[in-house]
Amino acid sequence: MQNPYVPIPVVVDKIITEVDTKDIKTFRLAFQNKQDEENFKYIPGQFAELSVFGKGESPIGIASSPTQKGYIEFTVQRAGLVTSFLHEMEEGTHMGVRGPLGNSWPIEFLEGKNIVVVGGGFAFTTLRSLINYMIHGDNRKRFGNITVIYGARNPGLLIYKDELKEWEKRDDLNINVTVDKGDDTWKGREGFVPAVCREVAPSSDNAVAVICGPPIMIRFTLPVFFDLKFSKENIITSLEMRMKCGIGKCGRCNVGHKYVCKDGPVFSLAELDKLTKEY
Amino acid sequence: MEKRLIKKDVLAGIVGKIAGDVNLVAPVKEEDNVLFELVKDGVTALSSYRNTKNAPKAFFFPRSETLMRYTRKEKGYEFTGLGEDVSGQTVIFGVRPCDARSFVILDLLFDQDKYKDPYYIEKRANTTVVAVGCTKPPYSTCFCTSVDGSPMSTEGADVFLTDLGESYLAEFLTDKGEKLLKYFGDAKADAGAEKKKEEIAQAAAKEIKKTIPAHEIKAWLDANFEHPFWETVHKKCLACGTCTFMCPTCHCFDIQDEVKAADGKRIRNWDSCMFPLFTRETSGHNPRTSQKERWRQRFMHKFRYYVDMFGPIACVGCGRCVMSCPVNIDIRKIAEDISKL
Ligand SMILES: Cc1cc2nc3c(=O)[nH]c(=O)nc-3n(C[C@H](O)[C@H](O)[C@H](O)COP(=O)(O)OP(=O)(O)OC[C@H]3O[C@@H](n4cnc5c(N)ncnc54)[C@H](O)[C@@H]3O)c2cc1C
Ligand code: SF4
Ligand code: SF4
Ligand code: FES
Repeated sequence: MQNPYVPIPVVVDKIITEVDTKDIKTFRLAFQNKQDEENFKYIPGQFAELSVFGKGESPIGIASSPTQKGYIEFTVQRAGLVTSFLHEMEEGTHMGVRGPLGNSWPIEFLEGKNIVVVGGGFAFTTLRSLINYMIHGDNRKRFGNITVIYGARNPGLLIYKDELKEWEKRDDLNINVTVDKGDDTWKGREGFVPAVCREVAPSSDNAVAVICGPPIMIRFTLPVFFDLKFSKENIITSLEMRMKCGIGKCGRCNVGHKYVCKDGPVFSLAELDKLTKEY
Repeated sequence: MEKRLIKKDVLAGIVGKIAGDVNLVAPVKEEDNVLFELVKDGVTALSSYRNTKNAPKAFFFPRSETLMRYTRKEKGYEFTGLGEDVSGQTVIFGVRPCDARSFVILDLLFDQDKYKDPYYIEKRANTTVVAVGCTKPPYSTCFCTSVDGSPMSTEGADVFLTDLGESYLAEFLTDKGEKLLKYFGDAKADAGAEKKKEEIAQAAAKEIKKTIPAHEIKAWLDANFEHPFWETVHKKCLACGTCTFMCPTCHCFDIQDEVKAADGKRIRNWDSCMFPLFTRETSGHNPRTSQKERWRQRFMHKFRYYVDMFGPIACVGCGRCVMSCPVNIDIRKIAEDISKL
């Protein structure tokens, strides 16, 4: 019987400090055993438990795309015990990963549709996975127009800066990066994510919006998409609840009769409407 | 199905023989309590008791259990093996029917298609459950018949004993149970014994005086996550968690790491939805901000969510929470009150 509590051994291959405040880093992890790498089949939107013996575990969205081979990436904000340890780590450290866990962005449902990706702050991680997946040569034609709206409080807090520049060069991707407030060097857009969504006004025609960000951003962004006539079935988001086991056993992360770790974290607004409002 | 009749006075001998061959867990007297414990030399398993203070789930899902061990190496800690507390062949003797049903209810959670909990499943597979019917339901707080059980329910039992007065009727219900046949002699049970059991079962079910509308309230629960009634339930609650720790079907746990010098272990401990920290995130955000939300969760989990997830109600009507709550919050009364709304 496979033991879902035992982490897969990985080694920290690369650490990238994403933001000026240095409290968000991306960790590139490589599998210690080839077989584990082959078995670790994931879909954008899934997460994993980053496992540090002696400290504990934290559920973190997978930030890389399955089209990137040889490693998996996680972007982590320093918060408490485990995430602080991760931030102190050096390249070459051995640690563990349990996963992939949870459902995923509904790839099959997204296929053949125009996709609007809306992200705020560092909750952009699994959206980045989705974007890299969709724009990969093998997959791009399976999706219609792709519009990305991504915002952070200031330019220094944008994550994946190099990648954002690469994406801007592409003509098969409409990318809109915004900051609440720019600085002297910022030449891009200024304004809150909801306002930018209203300006960009993506059509709801055959379109799905995939939205992830801090609660306050979500709260003000949703009405924009309702005004644009997106149905609740076509607005998809990802929930966060405190977790431990990640496999629907420890009883910690339920929203009504769904365990966010196992049945989520991805839900459409229509699905959320049917659940209790306790998250 | 094999059935045997055994004289009452030989039961203690049978229990002793089993204890000589495998681990035997049975009710024993410990100070003022009757507890399920591993029977070691010099400890006598009780043959007459009402029910145990602790729920026997602890033998499959211990209060604290080592999941794995690890040791420090140059580049970080490395896995060295699973916990060592895995039990050998075990017989749990004297389980009451409500508690035997709790195993079946917990199996649905720990033994699912997608994720299997090897720690629970292995102990469960290695354990034979010998249940003893409640010919005389032990407490006024019992309400098993309201939640699909009965004082003579054999669900979850591998061997089922019924006290017929002079002797016990032993029914061997599963392959696991039949492996114990050799201890029980060859006196086959006759039709008379079975008839007597039927009569006793019917009388026993009538002895359960307390009924609650456990199924009837489901529709109300489905519709009333928000309702002023929830403001009234938790007022006295101390958030001590006793109710959940006593409960044979509660399964929430926490996972923690413990390190001593170079060696560490990852442990899981029982946790409780009644504790404020249970759902508190590092950011400080807590979806359940007060005891109101926590009590609603406990009640909803048992009578609504578990039903939606797996089918059965996650309460076997043992009454432990009713008896042990320090401020006398009574889950039965909550169900009744809801049915009157
Ligand atoms: C599906 C999902 C995806 C996530 N993705 C990311 C991500 O990509 N990047 C990122 O930085 N953060 C992410 N988080 C939040 C992250 O899990 C918490 O910040 C982290 O667990 C805090 O752990 P800690 O040990 O540092 O803090 P401590 O306060 O020491 O936490 C103790 C333990 O509580 C649990 N816990 C505490 N807060 C949370 C929380 N908000 N969510 C889940 N479990 C929690 C964890 O098991 C944690 O180890 C995600 C959460 C979920 C549920
Ligand atoms: S909720 Fe109370 S009565 Fe029901 S099984 Fe648990 S402890 Fe027993
Ligand atoms: S035992 Fe009683 S006081 Fe303690 S948490 Fe349960 S309901 Fe509250
Ligand atoms: S994290 Fe344990 S049930 Fe979801």
